[in-house]
Amino acid sequence: MTDVPLNLLRRHLLLGGAALALPASALAQAAPRAGTLKVAFLGLDTSDPHRHTGSIAVQQVYVETLTSIADDGTVKPFLATAWEISPDGKRYTFTIREGVRFHNGRLLTAEDVRANAVRVRDQVRGGWLSAPMRLVDTLEAPDARTFVMTMKEPYGPLLNLLSELWIVAPESEGWAQTIRQPIGTGPFRFGRWQPNVSFHAPAFAQYWQPGLPRAAAVEFSLRDASDLSLALRAGDLHIARVGYDKLASVRADPNLEVQFMKDTTWWFWSFNNRNPRPPFNDVRVRQAVSFMLDKPAFMRFVAGEAGVVTNQMAAPGQFFWDKAMHDADAHAAPNEDRARALLREAGVNPANTPCRIVSWQSAYAEIAVQAMRKLGFQVEHLALDDIGAQRRLGQYDWDLAPFASGPRADIFLRFVRLMSDGPNVGLWGGTRDAEFDRLVRSAIASVDLDQRRRLYLAAWQRALDNYYTVVIGHAPEPIVNRREVTGYAPGFTWGQHRVDGGLAFGALAARG
Amino acid sequence: MNHAFLHNATQAGLALARQALLLAGIAIAVFLLIRIVPGDVVDAMALEGSLDEEAIADLRADLGLDAGALTQFRIWAGRALGGDFGMSLRFDRPVSELILAALPTTLILAVLALSAGLALGVGLATAAVLWPRSPLPALVEALNLWSIALPTFCVGLASILLFSVGLGWLPVIGQWLSPVLILAIDNAGQVVKPLHEDLKEAATASHIRTARAKGLSPARIVLRHLLPNALTTVVALGGMILAGMIGGALTMEVLFGLPGLGTLAFQAISGRDYPVIQAVVLVFAAGVVVVNGLADLAQRALDPRLRR
Repeated sequence: MTDVPLNLLRRHLLLGGAALALPASALAQAAPRAGTLKVAFLGLDTSDPHRHTGSIAVQQVYVETLTSIADDGTVKPFLATAWEISPDGKRYTFTIREGVRFHNGRLLTAEDVRANAVRVRDQVRGGWLSAPMRLVDTLEAPDARTFVMTMKEPYGPLLNLLSELWIVAPESEGWAQTIRQPIGTGPFRFGRWQPNVSFHAPAFAQYWQPGLPRAAAVEFSLRDASDLSLALRAGDLHIARVGYDKLASVRADPNLEVQFMKDTTWWFWSFNNRNPRPPFNDVRVRQAVSFMLDKPAFMRFVAGEAGVVTNQMAAPGQFFWDKAMHDADAHAAPNEDRARALLREAGVNPANTPCRIVSWQSAYAEIAVQAMRKLGFQVEHLALDDIGAQRRLGQYDWDLAPFASGPRADIFLRFVRLMSDGPNVGLWGGTRDAEFDRLVRSAIASVDLDQRRRLYLAAWQRALDNYYTVVIGHAPEPIVNRREVTGYAPGFTWGQHRVDGGLAFGALAARG
Repeated sequence: MNHAFLHNATQAGLALARQALLLAGIAIAVFLLIRIVPGDVVDAMALEGSLDEEAIADLRADLGLDAGALTQFRIWAGRALGGDFGMSLRFDRPVSELILAALPTTLILAVLALSAGLALGVGLATAAVLWPRSPLPALVEALNLWSIALPTFCVGLASILLFSVGLGWLPVIGQWLSPVLILAIDNAGQVVKPLHEDLKEAATASHIRTARAKGLSPARIVLRHLLPNALTTVVALGGMILAGMIGGALTMEVLFGLPGLGTLAFQAISGRDYPVIQAVVLVFAAGVVVVNGLADLAQRALDPRLRR
């Protein structure tokens, strides 16, 4: 599990560590590039990095950002070598790294960074950066090496979120509308892209980190395959995501190695908070449902030994996770008698009560269905594909939604899902709670990390008390590589290129 | 002469009109059916890209998804009649570009599988007639049963486990040998049985008895007298198989990661990419119409009785 020390986080928040500006690539040996790494993680939906809708795993190899999320979840310098934050937390002054070249050979300047920030602010709707961009007051590039971002109010997650503000040369084809051929600064160039099939990215010879990339090219398989373990075992792929259910067969193969992402995916049951139908608007009924949850069994089912049980959005050991709150979890173990007693107390006869469950077509959703049936409810289960479920969730005509959500660059990106005006809130029942919003807004406006943690935890306690969503547990996503791959390790998020690791560090050894 | 020409032209015109109506009907049906499936491309973007409700509404308006179905169809049909299938909602690229990139894979797969299948089917059926007391007639039955009983995706999965994972002979992704062979065997199984029956029945005809009485060798009888007459069956079946395979190769394309029209359609449906789905289905439908038309023409050319 990821453990982010408080003092380390604070230091990075207040002063971009120039001392940490030396990338791990300095350690990389200057060996000739060889081989094509064949990988499969997530898809690539657009050639325009600013309009991505979940393409982080692919596009990060050809476009880079000012900051980078390190393996331990902290923010590290990337295209910025350092930054300073004004005492009021509103003015961010970044020092832009020297000697960074775009793929067309031109040197990166602060004006390029400003142009990208302006483009995202003015032209891109939605996405993680939309909230901070609404709070931007000015964007300036006073000289070639300095970029200044002034916010209307302090915004704590900004440095983390800037790890997804990709810097593209403004002369890239399609800049005014949709970028067709992005010219980035990454270790690999934007090569051949065949949507839903493959993306080929050759190495960039003038990449700024010496000795990187170590492979001559990387080829992403973008095919919509649910099980990549066979392609890994057959040697068609070198690195790929693999489901927990395939881990046993993968571990039995001596040619394969299992690693885990550093942040976690988390599982939860949400109630309909936007438009709850009786009796699920009664907190006693929500409690009863939660007492039917067998969290340890659930986590064993979805993630085997990789799963851990908790009641929070942050995983055990992480900075924003709280042990006292974890120890006080009333639903750490199931209690069917208590569940039935609560229903009686609420005057609910489950035999006469319909319960509509919306889920993806995932096996773990059946656990919720069976638990509710066991409690005696008349269950109607709508198991839909991800897009269908997304639409149905937004209709708020359901009662219970068992879902999961993946790693994020900052804890705020989990809290924002329970905010009234948050993005993609359906999975968490479309909560509208002014006090919860206030606590989260206070947290992100806080420049003191301890205070921010306290405010986040207060907001989460409120979510727990109202049973907006019930967290079951966490598990890191398994990433499997063939043993001939050296130097590669998965990171904190799905991004496959970061200052201290990723595909640029991966190389192919001869197959034994 | 003029009367016959007019008659033929009228018939051809009516046939074309029927096919155009069929395509229009398919276009309307697909347009409506895909909108019954819950969720659209903006839901996909919201899911992956974290859009708030305001951004979702703006995007729907931008993409024209907030207009009524009739308005959307009118706009799409108007452009499609002009040969413009629009832009992929998911990839922001011209649909025609995506289709042109995928079409060769599907065509090559279909043609290779059909050619190999017909060669195997015709060869086996012919050999089984030539040597009726050999195990070949039983092989005809077995091949036909294989084709009926074993779905191609099951055979495909088994071949991946055996030849790619187990023996390591073939890659899983992007290889052609397994899908072509699996489809070819399936096609052969569909052709071999009816063709064998046709050949057996034709072998009892009086002109064949005469040929035998004249002392012609069995091989010559089959090749010169039986097979030419059975070609209409082969063409009819081949046309049906090819038409079916334009869409039916989908499972093989998806399973082996071949970037053809089937894969494009499958992924467009998964991503609710309406313009791509509509265009691919139209291309499929047009392909079926063209193949059926060509098969009809070939049958008429081969069988003078059909021209009367």
